[in-house]
Amino acid sequence: MPDNDVIAAAKERLEQSGLPSTWLDIPVHWGVKAKEQATAENGGLRFQMLNVDVYGEVPEFWDNNTEIPRGAVPDTRTEQMGYSIFNKAEVWSDLCAELYEDAIADRWNSSSDVPWDSLEPIGADLERAVCQIATMMSEYGWTKAQTTGRWLQEISYGYIEVKLFLGTVVFDAARLFEVWRKRALANGGGLGRGGRNWKFLPLTQSYTFSEFCVASIMHDSMLLALLRRGEQLAQTEAERSIYRLCERDIERHLTYFVDHMRYLMLKEPVRREEIHRYMNKAEWYLAKDGDDTLYSAVAVIMGDGREGAQEAMADVAELRQEQIETYLGYLRQCHLADREDRLNLELRKWAGMVEPEAEEKIPV
Amino acid sequence: MVTADRLDELQMEPEAPELDLSWLNLDTEWGVVSEPGRKGLTLQQINKSIYGEIPATSEDSSARPRGAAAPEGATPRMTPWVLGDATETFSDSAALLYDEAVSRQWSSATDIPWDTLDELPEDIERAMVQLCTSLTEVEFIAGDVPGKWLPRIAADHYESGLFLMSQVMDEARHTDVFRKRALANGGGLLLQGGGGGLRQILEAEDFTQMSSMLHILGEGFVQSLFRLGELIAHNEAEKRIFRLAAQDESRHVAYGVTHLKYTLEHEPEKAEEVHWTLDMFEDTLVDPDQANPGLAGALVYLLGDGDVDEGWRLFWHVRRKQVLEYLHRLDVAGLGGRLETGRLHPALAGALDEN
Repeated sequence: MPDNDVIAAAKERLEQSGLPSTWLDIPVHWGVKAKEQATAENGGLRFQMLNVDVYGEVPEFWDNNTEIPRGAVPDTRTEQMGYSIFNKAEVWSDLCAELYEDAIADRWNSSSDVPWDSLEPIGADLERAVCQIATMMSEYGWTKAQTTGRWLQEISYGYIEVKLFLGTVVFDAARLFEVWRKRALANGGGLGRGGRNWKFLPLTQSYTFSEFCVASIMHDSMLLALLRRGEQLAQTEAERSIYRLCERDIERHLTYFVDHMRYLMLKEPVRREEIHRYMNKAEWYLAKDGDDTLYSAVAVIMGDGREGAQEAMADVAELRQEQIETYLGYLRQCHLADREDRLNLELRKWAGMVEPEAEEKIPV
Repeated sequence: MVTADRLDELQMEPEAPELDLSWLNLDTEWGVVSEPGRKGLTLQQINKSIYGEIPATSEDSSARPRGAAAPEGATPRMTPWVLGDATETFSDSAALLYDEAVSRQWSSATDIPWDTLDELPEDIERAMVQLCTSLTEVEFIAGDVPGKWLPRIAADHYESGLFLMSQVMDEARHTDVFRKRALANGGGLLLQGGGGGLRQILEAEDFTQMSSMLHILGEGFVQSLFRLGELIAHNEAEKRIFRLAAQDESRHVAYGVTHLKYTLEHEPEKAEEVHWTLDMFEDTLVDPDQANPGLAGALVYLLGDGDVDEGWRLFWHVRRKQVLEYLHRLDVAGLGGRLETGRLHPALAGALDEN
């Protein structure tokens, strides 16, 4: 319990000196001792351990447009800071705090954690193909960091866990950008050709955070399926390591995006059709982008050079099928299994799925 | 019933993409090799040949990496506008500072010896959690600001973009670690700080003006304070927090100083604009109406360990150091003379008075 005599004496000393002492009058939720839960075995003092008492009450609607920390006492003179997201369902996932700490625990350094000395000459076609893939990975990293970063100024402190986690996404995306740039410039190749990137517009144009999330689920799923082919695509230990490290980061991002969408679908099922519209758009741009450079570079690697590339296109088709299946798999996890029936027709071809008209003819 | 065999019949082969090998014959620079050095393969080491040439202006609003060939066919504008002039965002040190940020990441969960937080006298614990309440607020805004600017950075000037991305991460950790300290030892969060100039940083529509406020003056003052964390801390956990946070702030300040230096070297006429911004921001920082009522009181109280007179004496020591370091940073950036010309706010100039 607070010791009133000690506080009264402190107030008196401050006031005699002309200093404000109102902060000592705040009714403190005394006795929150998060440190007691922190041990080396459970990962130290993790953010989730702070979420007790009033500090752990995450409101459905946050009604303060300043930077006030959740659980602090407002100073009503403070100007509004321009946030626009005050609705828990729009951003929340129960996993944010843990994912934030996981991201920090999994941190890596592209300068020193990739065995760059394992790079060796691999032949001109293969080097060009690796560098072409690297160029496009870099582009996605840049886009992902920019488009994630812009949401920070929209989300209020009520959902601090989300913002902390998004901070790690921005940083991971920076590393995605630069580790692949390094690969392109380390081994005698150089950067390849930039993508047309119409497909990224749904990320840059999103008006709501959840719209951004579903577009991210699509792009991250596509990327993840490609990264999971790292063992097959990597030419050296350095690349194997890059694929592995990036894969772990992207899986973490998807865990958040998917858990958030699951939360949104449970809390606001009325938004289902709206979300489908965002997916319609994201899939349309992906299907119509028409830039097959990335897949062609993959084919050159799988075919061990340009001569084998055409034959390798069957394997590339399988990869693209895996990408769509990965995407649909994540959507199933967030209660959007019905997307399978509404998937863009071009993407259905990528996945080798039965066409809707044919489905209707199946005798039951 | 639909049998599995029947479904298999209807399953199509996945459609293959078109094979396009035109990218195998690009006219980009070939033969660039970068070897890892003592610190591994850093950005500095790959910034060579055409890939290291930083364009003075860039009109490319796409995500195309600097040095890559342009795509064939129509491409979309990815962002409404970018800050295309290098003078608007660039810093010669950005790549180095990003590399350093990556190698110096730390964890507030495991790198702070939380078990050294002993029970503190209640007045001291309250003062510490009040300070941490104010700091978690300040750091929260400090993370929003670079996020706002990221979409406007040209990919051709990616070094500044990467630096700002690392700053977003650093500020997340600072927001987190001060909240952790407030809730770790029996105290709690206290009184909100009341803005104190944070809004001006957020609303700035010019990058250099924003950076002068955020990186040079705001974070500069915070860094000077953190470097004196020994005077405030009561245990090893708090000392470590201030030390690690100060290390991060040093990078942010260094970016601001080197960016301003780059800008003023190329556009000296911008000096007056920055002076004007600092006039406004200094005025806000010392305005009693804008002052954070908790921050000053808690800081004085902690500095004096409950002895308010001693706390005041040390507070002015801290403030003097903040102002001296601020002026030095401006000097290095090429914006010296604020004190000599009487432009420095009198309340800050007064802090330099030894008495």
